[in-house]
Amino acid sequence: MKVLDRKKMIWVNGALLILLALSVIACALLGPVRLDLARAWQNIFAANPDAEILFRARLPRVLLGVAIGGGMAACGVVLQALLGNPLACPQMLGVSGGASLGGILGLIFFPHWLLPIAGGLLGEISWVPLAAFLGALLSMIFVYRFSLFHGRLHPYHLLLSGVIFNAFIAAVIMFLNSIVDFYQAQGLLFWLMGSLSTRAYLTVAFIWAYIIIGFLWLWAKGLSLNLITVGEEAAMQLGVETAALQRQIFVASSLMIGAMVSVSGMIGFVGLMVPHVMRLIVGGDHRLLLPASFLAGGIFLCWADTLARVLLAPAELPVGIVTAFFGGPFFLYLLYREGGKKPAL
Amino acid sequence: MSYRPKILAAPLFVVSLIVLATHASFVQAASAPYPRRIVSLAPSVTETLFTLGFGNRIVGVTTYCDYPAEARKLPKIGGFTNPSLEAIVGQRPDLVIGVNESSHPVKVREMERLGIKVALISVTSLNDILNSIQSIARWLGNPEAGEKLAQKIARQIDAVKKRVAPAPRRATLLAVGIKPLVAVGGKNFIDELITLAGGENIAGQAAQPWLNLPDEYVIAKAPRVIIEAGMGAEREQSAKRWQDLKSIPAVQEQRVYYYRSDKILRPGPRIGEGLEEIARLVHPECFAESQRGLNPGSGCEGPRP
Repeated sequence: MKVLDRKKMIWVNGALLILLALSVIACALLGPVRLDLARAWQNIFAANPDAEILFRARLPRVLLGVAIGGGMAACGVVLQALLGNPLACPQMLGVSGGASLGGILGLIFFPHWLLPIAGGLLGEISWVPLAAFLGALLSMIFVYRFSLFHGRLHPYHLLLSGVIFNAFIAAVIMFLNSIVDFYQAQGLLFWLMGSLSTRAYLTVAFIWAYIIIGFLWLWAKGLSLNLITVGEEAAMQLGVETAALQRQIFVASSLMIGAMVSVSGMIGFVGLMVPHVMRLIVGGDHRLLLPASFLAGGIFLCWADTLARVLLAPAELPVGIVTAFFGGPFFLYLLYREGGKKPAL
Repeated sequence: MSYRPKILAAPLFVVSLIVLATHASFVQAASAPYPRRIVSLAPSVTETLFTLGFGNRIVGVTTYCDYPAEARKLPKIGGFTNPSLEAIVGQRPDLVIGVNESSHPVKVREMERLGIKVALISVTSLNDILNSIQSIARWLGNPEAGEKLAQKIARQIDAVKKRVAPAPRRATLLAVGIKPLVAVGGKNFIDELITLAGGENIAGQAAQPWLNLPDEYVIAKAPRVIIEAGMGAEREQSAKRWQDLKSIPAVQEQRVYYYRSDKILRPGPRIGEGLEEIARLVHPECFAESQRGLNPGSGCEGPRP
């Protein structure tokens, strides 16, 4: 194991952090409608359309995009290491399916009830994300139980049970979708496609806190993750308690994914592609790969969502379409360029 | 010399017969029996059939066909976009009526291959809706009923137009989905209804009939009326959802409505009533005056009473 290159660490993460900050500013200023920045600052709290466009419609949305993009990418990195499979992604764990089902049930049974936070003082949030998160928790426990092999979490079983659980849930969702009424079915499909649209800073703050804690915890396990990718046995010989580590990583990433899917639906491709791209660029050391992927995922989703708002304006595209459309070819290009230099995982 | 015209006449007669025959089989000539076993592939079609007095000829409807109440009791042939071919064939229909925009072309071809006559109507514009009502009446052998119904709807439209005529146009958002926000765009009969009701659809220039709108677009377009016609909520909830966007006139003036109505959303015979419902939301003042016996529409120009 090479010693971590501190200079590279600071350089890469510093550059990405600056890029991220610039992206947040640029994406908050770009959109399908014109924004008069001077007027937006004049009177932030009055009924001022420019201020509302900037601070209500765009900024919370951009910040949510950064958190979700970063969280998805970080989860993708650790899942690819944990499962030893380059195709692993947050959508594969079963948790996302459970969250979707929870959200769908929420949409059907208490569509748009609002839950007052602190007696309404902190505003109100929708019940739907809470139902989705509950679905994520239940499915996490379920998938975990079925992935135990001789009393310990087995990556192979985890992968299979996750995929099969998701397929089953997808069937349940399609069933529900075909029995609800027509307009409700449309609403459910739109929800499933995923969107970063939000005006609630409370939700954004909650997701940020959640993802930062999860991310820091995963980052702290970076060295052990490096050893696990070398091989489970080798890692054990080098003193990593692989069984415990696998369990912890599963729980931590599941909780993160559950929270993310709860607020933004299934936004695909970020968690699969960004880790691979960053692995090609900065290498496979998880102590560097994790923060670099987090930052790159944030930058990527932030721009993807801005494109989703602008490309067909005034219509907004589902952001998942943009991530796959632009991410796919770029990823293939990198793979082609790097072909033969070093393995992708 | 006198023989020649006869030689020409014979083939001409045959050709015209062929033309007539092919044409007749296509539009169904008066001599052929009118369809007696009809399957409807859309709620609006079911409503039209019942209103025209052909309810007793329907042998199959979709699971969404819930109006009038009798429609609920009819055999179901599946959903709106995914009807079951087997269930349709099982009803041995002599005519299947579907909506152009939502019918599966492959399924239509399949039905035709099985010898079932399929007729598709178009409901993109208000004119389409009126025409298709008349077409259905013609196909079933009662064109007068179709004309009468179309005229009745046209009268309802005119009455609303007259009422809101003096009122200024109000920028209006009509949403059918809430999270994410799905609005009525252009090329949609509801867009026409909004205009006829004295409103101006803020997403009317969009190329799509339905579109997902970002919040910022709504703020920039500053609608004076917001109608949420989508899935479940109460009026209070709808108002709450928008209350953080105080710059929107509809929020300031408390013109955010939750109003779910099949009369508005369904391109069927109740569309004239649907138009009045929209007009009452966009310009309530134009309807309030008449109740007190004043000139209808006289209060439209001023501020809200």
